[in-house]
Amino acid sequence: MIKWLGSSKATPFWFLAPVIAFGIIFFILPLGFALFTSFTRWDSLQPPRWVGLDNYLYLLTSDRRFFPTLFNTLYFAAGTLAIGVPLSLGIAFAFTQSRFQSLWRSLYWLPMVTNVVAVAYIWIFVLAPTHGLLNRLLAMAGLPGPGWLTDPSIAMLSVILVFVWMQLGSNMLLFSAGLNNIDESYYEAARLDGAGTWQVFSTITIPLLRPTVMFVLITNLISGMSYFTLMLVLTEGGPLGRTTVTALYMYEMAFADLRLGRASAVAYILFALVFVLTLIQLRFFRQGGVDAH
Amino acid sequence: MSGIVKSRTPGGRALTVLKYVLLTLGAIVMVLPFLDMFLGALRTPAERLASPPIYWPRDPQWINFVRVFTELPMLRWTFNSIVVTTTITALQLLTSAMAGYALAKFRFAGANKALQFVIGAQMFPFFILIIPTFFILRYFPLAGGNDITGTGGSGFLNTYTALILPFSVTWYGVFLMRQFMMSVPGELLDAARIDGAGEARIFFTIALPLVMPGFVTLGIFVFLYHWNEVLWTMTVTRTAPDLQTIPVGIYLLRGAFVEETTKSLQQAAVAVSVFPVMILFLALQRFYVRGLTAGGVKG
Repeated sequence: MIKWLGSSKATPFWFLAPVIAFGIIFFILPLGFALFTSFTRWDSLQPPRWVGLDNYLYLLTSDRRFFPTLFNTLYFAAGTLAIGVPLSLGIAFAFTQSRFQSLWRSLYWLPMVTNVVAVAYIWIFVLAPTHGLLNRLLAMAGLPGPGWLTDPSIAMLSVILVFVWMQLGSNMLLFSAGLNNIDESYYEAARLDGAGTWQVFSTITIPLLRPTVMFVLITNLISGMSYFTLMLVLTEGGPLGRTTVTALYMYEMAFADLRLGRASAVAYILFALVFVLTLIQLRFFRQGGVDAH
Repeated sequence: MSGIVKSRTPGGRALTVLKYVLLTLGAIVMVLPFLDMFLGALRTPAERLASPPIYWPRDPQWINFVRVFTELPMLRWTFNSIVVTTTITALQLLTSAMAGYALAKFRFAGANKALQFVIGAQMFPFFILIIPTFFILRYFPLAGGNDITGTGGSGFLNTYTALILPFSVTWYGVFLMRQFMMSVPGELLDAARIDGAGEARIFFTIALPLVMPGFVTLGIFVFLYHWNEVLWTMTVTRTAPDLQTIPVGIYLLRGAFVEETTKSLQQAAVAVSVFPVMILFLALQRFYVRGLTAGGVKG
């Protein structure tokens, strides 16, 4: 063994050693530990007690809060796609054909380099009822301003808008990279054939941009389903739990209520959902990769 | 993607106007909230309590940006942010470059499986690791007063290690560095071996300098991400004020800013947490663009 460690065959393993150790302690072990915990009742003070599938059964049959959080999760993920993707696509179209690109890019990227606590506290003031900036502007236009973060029926919409604001820059970059990847010769050929603006857009730009659009849609969907930090600091899940997404529900169940077994079960159910979406994504890109060329 | 792209479609003047209107409107929406925060930081308590509250500060309280450092633990938070972020960046760069080098430049049993593992591991969302990682640090054997069975003490909780260790490897970084290391010519490494250079020396003096552009891009990426990291840091420092970083400190101190008269100081603290990063980012923007496009679209 000692002889092997000094041989040239062992060299790559020396370079991989830190990553292998990390992978075992901070990846494989936690995944297994969480799976085990999800079959127990555990408050971290007493040793865990095996309860079989009880946590899963409780969540799926008796828990009144679990399915609403799943609904909130889907609402959030779908909302960020429905508002964020067309918006960033439109901005990307304008951006790729504009002058002063580095200026625009700098401005659109400001939220991306801002920590999420600052994002939350910037928007808490902008969205404040009556005297927040947004409602002041609405009042100038003679419109009534709602309680953006306090009205249960629109709080999630506000969270979605803040998230779209945060993410706009990175989606814009992905789309503009996709637009720049479209070969100039297609456009030249179309122009020589006398195609109009709309024709070029609908027959060249849109079809050739499809892989990028699908990539952004699916990665945003997956990350949106897993996301909860903004809700944690901006609304703390309220009002009336309307912005409590499943991952936030899990976090609070674990670190506020110390129901670690049940929280682990929540994590695994949500993970299963995200995993299925990921598999669909992989399948899609294997096909998409062939179709695109 | 640099420079001015000539109008590709023979669109009319109306389309050009529309384009700039859209870009300008969007830019206003991007910037206005930051301005609102900045103005808020300058308001006097009297302006806040006026009915209705005064929006444009008449007597700008620049002193608030000093008070952030004298009345809040901002210096302590900044120190923690620097310690944690630079350590994480250094560790991730080193582990990514080493592992990427092994995966790209060596043939060994299981090499393919290892690469698949690195790619697969990136797909696991962080939320599933939060609970178990917290308790692995808590019950780590022989750490922080724990015995060999991992009980008796508090493990790595309430230490810098708890903030750093779970982020000492990035699977994305390993994959990215592997891609960069692929371009290092194998003949160069073999020539050095024939000259009798040790493997560690070959790595540091030949392979690493050749992938410097990727190394720098990954470094900026990692630094920015962890400078702004909130979720994990908050989870492990909730009861350890001495270890809190800038954004986490500001968030966990929110109970001190309930009174309307204290909110200018809160907004000043938020501004202090944002502006230095923005300036740094604007200076390094070029590297950042390259990293995002390299990692993102090729998927």
